[in-house]
Amino acid sequence: MYNNYQSVKMWEHTLNQNAPLQTLIQSVFSPTAFDFWASHLNPTWSWQRPLARIVARRIAAKDCVTLTLKSNRHAQPFLAGQHINLTIEINGVRYTRSYSPSLLPDQNRVFTITVKRMSGGKVSNWLCEQTQIGQVIELGAAFGDMTLSSVYQKHVFLAAGSGITPFLSLIREWVAQGALGDVTLIYWAKTKAELCFIDEFSALTAQYANLQIHYALTQEQPSQVPQTHIAYERLSQRLLETFVPDLNQRVAYACGPAGFVEQARLLTQEQAKDFYGEAFSLPLVANDSLESVNIHLTKSNRTIRVASGQPLLAALEAQGLKPASGCRMGICNTCVCTKQAGTTEHILTQARDHEAGSSVRICISSARSDLTLDL
Amino acid sequence: MTSSLSRHLNAEELDQFAAEIDALRATAMADLGEKDATYIRKIVKAVRYSNAISRGLLMASFFPPAWVAGTALLGASKILENMELGHNVMHGQYDWMGDPTLNGKTFEWDIVGTGDHWRKTHNYMHHTYTNIKGMDDDIGYGVIRLFPEQRWKPFFLGQPLYAVIFALLFQWGVAVQELRLGLLFKGKKTMEEFKVEFEPTKRKMIRQLVKDYVFFPLIAGPMFLPVFAGNFIANGIRNVWTFSIIFCGHFTQDAEIFPKSVLQDESRGHWYMRQIRGSSNLTGGKLFNIMSGNLSHQIEHHLFPDVPAWRYEGLSVGIKDICQRYGQHYNEGSFIRQLSQVGWRILRHALPSKVKQPKLVNTNTAITA
Repeated sequence: MYNNYQSVKMWEHTLNQNAPLQTLIQSVFSPTAFDFWASHLNPTWSWQRPLARIVARRIAAKDCVTLTLKSNRHAQPFLAGQHINLTIEINGVRYTRSYSPSLLPDQNRVFTITVKRMSGGKVSNWLCEQTQIGQVIELGAAFGDMTLSSVYQKHVFLAAGSGITPFLSLIREWVAQGALGDVTLIYWAKTKAELCFIDEFSALTAQYANLQIHYALTQEQPSQVPQTHIAYERLSQRLLETFVPDLNQRVAYACGPAGFVEQARLLTQEQAKDFYGEAFSLPLVANDSLESVNIHLTKSNRTIRVASGQPLLAALEAQGLKPASGCRMGICNTCVCTKQAGTTEHILTQARDHEAGSSVRICISSARSDLTLDL
Repeated sequence: MTSSLSRHLNAEELDQFAAEIDALRATAMADLGEKDATYIRKIVKAVRYSNAISRGLLMASFFPPAWVAGTALLGASKILENMELGHNVMHGQYDWMGDPTLNGKTFEWDIVGTGDHWRKTHNYMHHTYTNIKGMDDDIGYGVIRLFPEQRWKPFFLGQPLYAVIFALLFQWGVAVQELRLGLLFKGKKTMEEFKVEFEPTKRKMIRQLVKDYVFFPLIAGPMFLPVFAGNFIANGIRNVWTFSIIFCGHFTQDAEIFPKSVLQDESRGHWYMRQIRGSSNLTGGKLFNIMSGNLSHQIEHHLFPDVPAWRYEGLSVGIKDICQRYGQHYNEGSFIRQLSQVGWRILRHALPSKVKQPKLVNTNTAITA
């Protein structure tokens, strides 16, 4: 899967040894031009960009869509339980969000992501509503530590809402590795209709005695007929004691909204052998009462504290830094940098920008939250 | 008072003037989206197709009309790439899309000058200090005297000839602009310093030369010479066209020049006013707008250098209205008219000339009624 990437690197290395040939290639070849023409033949052919094509799309549950993607050879490998960034374009603007991919067994470079519609969720709603088979999505590198620790280990997985997706991937991986050890999953959703993958889960629990799956529904009336694997409550000490009596022998994983993961950590870390949690990252929202904010500069690897609302360029210069700058009035684009996280405000228009990865002209922008800039 | 065709605006008027222009800008920025993305990708497509077709036609130069068509199309393709794509993308007009291939800071174009130098001399110096004597090197690029405010030297007697040479070699002139060769000749810069600064430009120049004068002629085999000549002429067509469009943008008869003193505590309104008074538009159709990189709307470009240029025509309606209400001259004319005014300036100011009425007036100073 990754050999092609390596061979490109080796080829580039060989070129570096040969100056005239390198000059010749650089004068007539550009990856952008290659991609332009190659995409005429196949939309996922690219010189170096990891791209994937949507090959199937189905409704996974209420407000949930599962997309099957086939990536090109530049996609980086990922481990079950990790996340990858997907970049899509909506109304001319590229947006990047993380999703948990799950490899399909026996299929090369094919994986699925399951997306839950959220109110105000620009990208998840687009993925749920607007995607069509054949569309191309750009991929990023995989990240995340919530991977299968050891196949012989006993695990407990705690999932809330779309936090289920890394666990689908982990359980598939656990099965692929021989279904050793023991896995218990507790999966919270508001209603039964919102549960994803229940057919796959039922099939697996029927097949493997060492896999237990419990559902917890928070907004549904308890059924008249008692069901052993369904609870109607939020995460609590009591619920854990009921479903996971041997918590002290298990490694606990939790994925879901930040509050849920924090609660899971508090309830399990004393007893469980280890704890890994991953919370949906929420954008750093503006807080007007903040008097000062932290600016993390990735290239210079520094974090400095500046007054909120002050033009960023002036604030950085006051701290002795000298970022590239020009007109100091927002027209020449010399001071533009990429904001990896945080909210900025345009000083003239007061327009706010919360999007990670957007370009920011620091001479005409101020910080409205902690920021990460590639300076 | 100045000989300006425009009315003096006091500080309060300038603030209102700025607020109105800012409001126009805000409307355009709020509307950015799919339309702009589709437009610029169409331009990318047109550049790539025209380039490929023209190179193909030149390979078939044994058939003379193919050579003529190939040469003309390659010139047009380079013009489109340099002006409507490169120039505008490098201003950051499409940065909001987040597309790495249309990023203002990293875009590289099909011309001997490097994108990095251009971003400095053009985006920063020329756009911030437009038509300020001693700050904006685009005023004659150090070889042509265009305003009586510039000191006359016998050297300028030859400028009608220099202008022709400069137009033919325009891309080379722009490429070395930031290197400040004058300092080297005057001994204010050592050869070692120059070599270090020249390195990126040298690499870019070699790549461009290899592409147009080695690679494509060689793969044409027996058509080596026609392809070589076609590429040479296409580069020349692009040079003369870009020179003409750029000179028409700031050096027509009524374009104004400013002293450095205007920069002292210059308000946003004054900056806008200076952009309008120092720029001039060219009237023409849709095709003319595209082939000039929409610099046919130089005034709007200088007010909104980071707004996608295809929107300038639409924005010009509002700008004309504002200019009329504030008594500011909106300088526009046909290409021929504006170009002949530039030509006249080049001829006239080759000879000593004096400022008839003081044009170099600090418009920041208050007037007494």
